[in-house]
Amino acid sequence: MAAPLVIKTREVKHVVVFDIEGEMRRHDTPQVTLSSLVQGELDRGRRNIVFNLAGVGFIDSFGVGEILASFKSIQDLGGKLKLCRISDRLLLIFKITMLDKVLDILEDCDRALDSFDSA
Amino acid sequence: MTDGRLKSLLNKLGDVRGREARSALTLCGFFFLITFTFYIIKPVREGLLISARPSWWPYADLATALLIGFVVALNTRLLNRLPRRTYLTASLLFFAACLFAFWYVFDVIQTTQLQTPVADSSGILFLLWAQMIILQNKVIPVFVFCFWADVFIAMSVTQFWIAVNDVIAPFQAKRLVGLFVTGGLFGGIAGAAVAALASYFRPNHLQDLLLVCPVLLVLAVVTVNVVYAGQRKVDAAAGNDRLAPAVRAGYAESFRTVLRHRYLLLLAAMVASALVVGTLINYQFKTVVRHVFETDAARTSFVAAFLFVILAVSTVVHLFTTRRFLRAYGIGWAISLAPLVLLVGAVAVFLIPAGLMLLWAWAVRGGDKAFDSTLSQSVRELLYIPVPEDVKYKAKIFIDMFVNKFGVGLGAGLYLILLNVRHFEYRADQPLALIRETGVLTLVFLAAWLGLTRLVYREYPDVLKPSIRKKWDQGGDVISRHVDVDMTLKIFNTIQSRERSTTLYLMNLFDLVHRKELTPELKDLLGIKRDEIEARGMETLFDVGGAGLFPGLEEAMDDVDLRHEIDLVFLLPAYQEIMAGRLSGIVASPSEVDRIEAAKIIGRMVANAPTLEALGQLLQDPSAEVALYALESASIHRTPEHVPLIFQRLGNPMLRGEAQTALAAYGPGIEGMAQPVLRDTGEPLELRRAVPEVLARVGTQRAADILLDELSRNEEDLEQALIDALDKLRDERPQVRFREKSVRAEVLRLVRKACDIVLNPPGEPGQAEAALDIRIKRVFDLLTLVYPREDIIKDYQNVLQGTAKAKAYSLEHLDTVLDREIKVLFLPLLEDLPSDERAALVRKALRLK
Repeated sequence: MAAPLVIKTREVKHVVVFDIEGEMRRHDTPQVTLSSLVQGELDRGRRNIVFNLAGVGFIDSFGVGEILASFKSIQDLGGKLKLCRISDRLLLIFKITMLDKVLDILEDCDRALDSFDSA
Repeated sequence: MTDGRLKSLLNKLGDVRGREARSALTLCGFFFLITFTFYIIKPVREGLLISARPSWWPYADLATALLIGFVVALNTRLLNRLPRRTYLTASLLFFAACLFAFWYVFDVIQTTQLQTPVADSSGILFLLWAQMIILQNKVIPVFVFCFWADVFIAMSVTQFWIAVNDVIAPFQAKRLVGLFVTGGLFGGIAGAAVAALASYFRPNHLQDLLLVCPVLLVLAVVTVNVVYAGQRKVDAAAGNDRLAPAVRAGYAESFRTVLRHRYLLLLAAMVASALVVGTLINYQFKTVVRHVFETDAARTSFVAAFLFVILAVSTVVHLFTTRRFLRAYGIGWAISLAPLVLLVGAVAVFLIPAGLMLLWAWAVRGGDKAFDSTLSQSVRELLYIPVPEDVKYKAKIFIDMFVNKFGVGLGAGLYLILLNVRHFEYRADQPLALIRETGVLTLVFLAAWLGLTRLVYREYPDVLKPSIRKKWDQGGDVISRHVDVDMTLKIFNTIQSRERSTTLYLMNLFDLVHRKELTPELKDLLGIKRDEIEARGMETLFDVGGAGLFPGLEEAMDDVDLRHEIDLVFLLPAYQEIMAGRLSGIVASPSEVDRIEAAKIIGRMVANAPTLEALGQLLQDPSAEVALYALESASIHRTPEHVPLIFQRLGNPMLRGEAQTALAAYGPGIEGMAQPVLRDTGEPLELRRAVPEVLARVGTQRAADILLDELSRNEEDLEQALIDALDKLRDERPQVRFREKSVRAEVLRLVRKACDIVLNPPGEPGQAEAALDIRIKRVFDLLTLVYPREDIIKDYQNVLQGTAKAKAYSLEHLDTVLDREIKVLFLPLLEDLPSDERAALVRKALRLK
């Protein structure tokens, strides 16, 4: 049984952090998607966003699509998306598929938050 | 006076915004004092020259044209070596000192004309020898004064615009230039009035006018220092060191700079041709004045009165028209208006009787002067806005001082040739003939001027572009540059399929191999390199260091013959017959894995009736994963009866992307089926919102037309999806054309919606700002359909996050390219303005009370 996806949102120093837990995969019952939550934040004028993936055990093509769609929406509005606490196994797949060239991946979330200040 | 009150006062004369009021007022004062000075000097110069023989007129202008080069070289050297503030102060004080010297010289001449005995007017005996020299060479001081006056006028105006460029950003300059010109015009009126009154009440002491000028120049020195002191504070606060770097360039380098840039070359040619026209008109005017008025005092008085009236009229015209004209018709028409009007005047000289000569001279010289003091002056300065800073100073000094005088010199040379060829010296009793023959030359250069205005204007937006740099890459571009998204998603699907079934995993692997040569790292990741089969649980799915599937898989994957054999199996009639019977059972199977495998394998099978029927059922399967593979197979078979089923899948966010891919795979022809779904309000909104992306991926002209048609239906909920799709289409299919009229109408509608947010902000301030940002982004996305996409993206990025200067360039570029109707509403939304000021501008643009 796949672990349900739970997304919590918080704001730290004008940066929106999505704490994501569970499996980012296609479900049989439609649910709120990550990209739609991101779009909501963009509509509210937020431009800097962090995905905290510490609690994510699995990502399928749907999950990757959601991350890429979020990246595109944020980037086009001049915002920044950063990923933090990604598992080693997922990082390896991101490297092999070259997604690490597109996505700004940081080891811990505090550094991800600080990096917005220094940008 | 508070900034607010000062601003509202200045706004009556110009368009002052934000915190510009103080710097705008001081610069305006600086220009007032300079023009005040040279409109005292000018009538004195003209009066002295008109009284000289007509054949000397061109020599005076030629002398200036030839010698000005040395002055430019000296000026450039000073500009390079001295801090800007010191340079301006020193040069103004130098001019003030010169004026005392000229007063002394002309006073000596005037005194000897009035009193027979030679007297030392200054009462200083040791200057007697100087008086003797002056009296023996009366013509020389007149020529020297004419030359000095030309240098003063050229240098002081250039210095003023250098100060403006130092202190004011480009887009500000466009609004404030009208205010500065107003200051200049008032200065001109004051100067001309003082000169006219003095020549009327003290006709024999015109030289005393020169003593007024040093006082004005000292005041100008004070103003300059206030301007630069204030700007240093602003720059220090903004961390901007705009004033710090001095542009170092010699005279030759300035010349080479102009030669290197086509735009500057055209600009120089345009200025030169305008100056030739102005010079020739001036000679025509002088001829008439000399003919009509008999004494020096009468001529000086007339010139002063003429300048006063022309400047007064210019001021009124300028206050009511320049700003409006520029805003309404832009730079394009503004640079063409003067040559067009003068062309009419130049033609009229061939039609008028001799009795109307003075009136004609008034009108044409007055027109030339009026344009030169108002619209033409404003536009000429605005044309430098797009030129990069380092090039601008070099070019401006060269054009303002050398090219200006070259134009005058060329006019003078041509006039001299005309006089000699036609022997007009002996026909001075026929001034109409003289001004008509001069008029032929004027017409030739007017035509050149007009042609050059068109060429300059055509180049103008292109010169702006290098100053507007891209701030970041579009998200889609970044992704596509680094990642094959389709392949990446398939890799993730393949990894995931390992948890489902070995069959599914192998089918996915074969698909991957079909598509692309797999790298060793990828093979390792997918487990191809391992030599034993092992079922995997979720927790070890990404354990790439773990065991693989079965021995020899790597070799099998690389075996082309094997892959070919597998393809042939799918074509076997026996296989098809057996599978047709089996498929209906599998589709009804409670096992999700069986249904997933069936959905996948159908994509490889021949599209016969049982296969397609099974696919139809699988497309409606409640399992998202089954539907996912069914959509993939449907995109291979592309059967019309499956289209409605696929459209339904657009409503499910878990399958939306694959459903869009499947529909887009149908290619041209799907648009006609997409449009009714898009319009069907009975369908879920999420489903309808997913349709524009399908049309964008199909990418046909018809798809573009449908998207535009739907946008014009003004359905708020679909707006973002439609605009995103149009933007994508524009990006990926450059050959597709968008109906400009429709796009412009939509842009205007969206801009009005954005204005509505400004006038009626929803909820809290932050909310209104965010809503406005989204609206502005949509407008920019739509603008990419009818303007070069890269340019509009750069403009958007710089308006959003650029430095003040980059933003100013972007606004200027938009101001140049956008339709008037759009820009008057859109640009106030983009400028950095307090919300009440922005609302007032928008209200004004919408003509609301």
